[in-house]
Amino acid sequence: MRESEFAYLGKDIPRKGGVERVTGAGIYAVDLVLPDMIRGGVLRSQYAHAKIVSIDTSEAESVPGVFAVVTAKDAPDVRYGRTISDRYMLARNRVLFMGDPVAAVAADSQKTVRRALEKIKVTYRPLPALLDPEEAMKPKAPTLHEEVPLPKNLPKDASVKNVCSYASVHIGEPDKAMSGADLIVEETYETQMVHPHYLEPRTVVAQCDNDRSLTLWVNSQSPFHVRSEVSKLLELPVSKVRVLATEIGGGFGGKSAGVASSASLEPICGLLAIKAKRPVMVILDKAEETVATSVRAPARIWIQTGVKKDGSLVARKAKVIIDTGGYSGQGAIVAGRTTQMLAGWYKIPNVHVDGYVVYTNKQVCGPVRGPGGIQAVFAVESHMDSIAARLGMDPVEFRLKNVPQPGDKTLGGLALRDVSLRQTIEKAVENIGWGRVKLQANQGIGFASTSWIEGAGAGFGTGALVKINEDGSATVLIGKVDYGTAVRISIPMIVAEELGIPIEDVTVLNVDTDTCPWDYGTVGSRTTVSCGSAVKLAAIDARNQLFVIAAGRLEVSVDDLEVRGKQIQVRGSSAKAIPISAVAIAAHSESGEVIGRGYYDAKAVLAEEKEKGTSPPFATHAALVEVDPDTGLVQVLKYVAVHDVGFAIHPDGVEGQIEGGVVQGLGQAMVEQIVIDDKGRTVNPTFVDYLMPTANITPDIDSVIIEGYLGEGPYGAKGVGEVPCVPPPAAVANAIYNAVGVRIRRLPLNPENVLRAIRDQKGTH
Amino acid sequence: MESKSQEGKVLMMIKINLTVNGKRKTVDLEPSLSLMDFLRDTLGIKGVKVCCNIGECGACTVLLDGKLVNSCVVLAADAADCQIVTVEGIAEGDKLHPVQEAFIERGAAQCGYCTPGFIMVGKTLLDQNPTPTLEEIKDFIYGNICRCTGYTKIIEAIQVASKQMEGKGGQP
Repeated sequence: MRESEFAYLGKDIPRKGGVERVTGAGIYAVDLVLPDMIRGGVLRSQYAHAKIVSIDTSEAESVPGVFAVVTAKDAPDVRYGRTISDRYMLARNRVLFMGDPVAAVAADSQKTVRRALEKIKVTYRPLPALLDPEEAMKPKAPTLHEEVPLPKNLPKDASVKNVCSYASVHIGEPDKAMSGADLIVEETYETQMVHPHYLEPRTVVAQCDNDRSLTLWVNSQSPFHVRSEVSKLLELPVSKVRVLATEIGGGFGGKSAGVASSASLEPICGLLAIKAKRPVMVILDKAEETVATSVRAPARIWIQTGVKKDGSLVARKAKVIIDTGGYSGQGAIVAGRTTQMLAGWYKIPNVHVDGYVVYTNKQVCGPVRGPGGIQAVFAVESHMDSIAARLGMDPVEFRLKNVPQPGDKTLGGLALRDVSLRQTIEKAVENIGWGRVKLQANQGIGFASTSWIEGAGAGFGTGALVKINEDGSATVLIGKVDYGTAVRISIPMIVAEELGIPIEDVTVLNVDTDTCPWDYGTVGSRTTVSCGSAVKLAAIDARNQLFVIAAGRLEVSVDDLEVRGKQIQVRGSSAKAIPISAVAIAAHSESGEVIGRGYYDAKAVLAEEKEKGTSPPFATHAALVEVDPDTGLVQVLKYVAVHDVGFAIHPDGVEGQIEGGVVQGLGQAMVEQIVIDDKGRTVNPTFVDYLMPTANITPDIDSVIIEGYLGEGPYGAKGVGEVPCVPPPAAVANAIYNAVGVRIRRLPLNPENVLRAIRDQKGTH
Repeated sequence: MESKSQEGKVLMMIKINLTVNGKRKTVDLEPSLSLMDFLRDTLGIKGVKVCCNIGECGACTVLLDGKLVNSCVVLAADAADCQIVTVEGIAEGDKLHPVQEAFIERGAAQCGYCTPGFIMVGKTLLDQNPTPTLEEIKDFIYGNICRCTGYTKIIEAIQVASKQMEGKGGQP
């Protein structure tokens, strides 16, 4: 039990919105009912790669009950994309993967929608489908995007096709250093395509008003990006597009990235609403989501490391191919992340990594929890284990040998202020019982460490407003959306703490792009760090405004005041006090309603990190598995996840992210995969055979929170939403090696793949 | 703008009686309507969540004459003369069921979308087996998928509710 000088922070307060969730309240987008609302649906490509010769919608339009049918000709000729604008909201002239939206229908019922979609006649001229990224890169491969030039920063000698982005890392002299190594290990790893498969289906409701204003209700993690992209794609002024975010039934990044992650469902629905002159609701089927919406990009990683006999790392070279699918999507950002993490967080003075982002005719890469990280860490941490085995070194000792020191530079050039990596490794060792617990036959333990390579000062800032109501309660306006993360957990706690009011008196509003501060979205493990800082500053700003009025009333100086128990009082003396409510009311006629404003200045944080150093959120996981050598079935008997979180504002909330992230990582590690046939068709789109972890195969997770290595977030907090998802594949693969001596370099580690690897190994020995 | 009507087609409707959360209802249904769509769209009971639509995830779990079913793969017409209980029907007025309380207390609802389904399953387990072991809990609940929590706090919540309800003979 730790001591705390805080009223709320560090405690496990029930999350706001808990009652709604346990009573089944209709708070999600799928629960919306608008008067006169009709339904919509999307027709998608039947080929992985084809020219669209013609589209005949006449029969569909005549189906009784149909209000509107739209194709690319009804939409402005505008493209969108995160780094390359290579995508239309409705396919124009050609389709590039089987989920590509071709047409859409609005009708009086879901049945009518389906009937009408069947009547749309699309004539395709099929083209060869490119399904393997290395084949797509070959000089003789067909070009999927004629209009996208090869990246300017490609190495001069690269003779490639269908590469839309390139990223690289270069430190020191890797070729020279490699030739001086005592041992060189070279391997290839492969990760598979998975879907984030949140349970709540993607939903959009669109309503067009007479003055051509469009209102959209969306279950999006990034409502402001939806607004700007819908505005661009439908050629409406931003001020004429209003996005209302509902509470979300899971996202994991798959509901972020503006309209890209939904395959432009938002503008399609908007277009239907404009044409139908009725509000339109589109709910995607989960099988449709597997085929059409954002996935985690598959990756192929070649990695080579040189070490000295004593285990010190001297050089690393690596190449990663990110298979980004039919459009560029999030590929460039994933490649940037993966290339950086392939260089790793261990001390390696010489590194060269090449990252290629390649078009194929498959689902499009989107941001999915820990994008690029899970791909890199499967390779890096399996590889570390592999090197240790060849050196005859204990894999823990090998990692500890190469842990960086405070003062060492990270890849981004920031110096390390402190390093919790050693402590996370040692704690994982202790809790899993490495070297202590008696393992049975075919049992093994594996480790994997990671960090999140982004400094806290990367990216955009975040704004917040805190209004003080006349009963002394506070209303918080932010641009972030509740899907079970910090928004209704740590955010209201911070406001309650700074204003001295009960948590029941803090309300966090759902995002309305008309009234809430602009935000890049609930992504990147940033809510507590950036939004938490912003609301802290906003609450303090509001508190200062209250103090000015209260100081006048109490005839003291503002410096003498503090908040406690819904009152503003002279420090240490509750006798001289005035209720916050009274001051809030007074403000209405003196200075205007008290509205506090806060901004998390990422640039300033980055500058401070440059000066004082950074403290990354290191983590180490350990898995204890048992392998059945006859069936290939792997059971995870015990799992330990040790995470440096700086300061846990809500320990149960932090644990929840660790536990959930671990299981999502175990999903990718062991059961999940999107299987695509040689025509580019997904063969397992439904939950019947898109397998996900269930309670009976999930291990007991021992989650350990390490505090004290303070981060840039409020009260020293660090983000934790994504890191836990990243180590599991490597931890399990390393445990399998420890158990049965077989190293498996591709995912998932399902019975088929494990058994094949065991038999292959027996065959070659 | 009016929608065109289904000329010449007479929709066959079935009249059934059933009880939903203690309230008797008489309704005319399309024969192909699922119990899930009936509860959500016809009766407006949103505590039945829509997800996979093929009975694989448990989000739409309800009690049908005391048995747990995935309402998306049950025909509403097949619920004639039956008692349906959804998550909206297990609280006693303002007093939440111990399983609901435990989910709040243990932080077992992150996004909350799977929560109603798990609460129906958890309540039913404890009604049948008031002191389940960890293995018994896992064996009973694994037909419900959660993507957020990793199941740890859901299991803890059921264990907490079990202790709460212990000796009280379960809930009616």
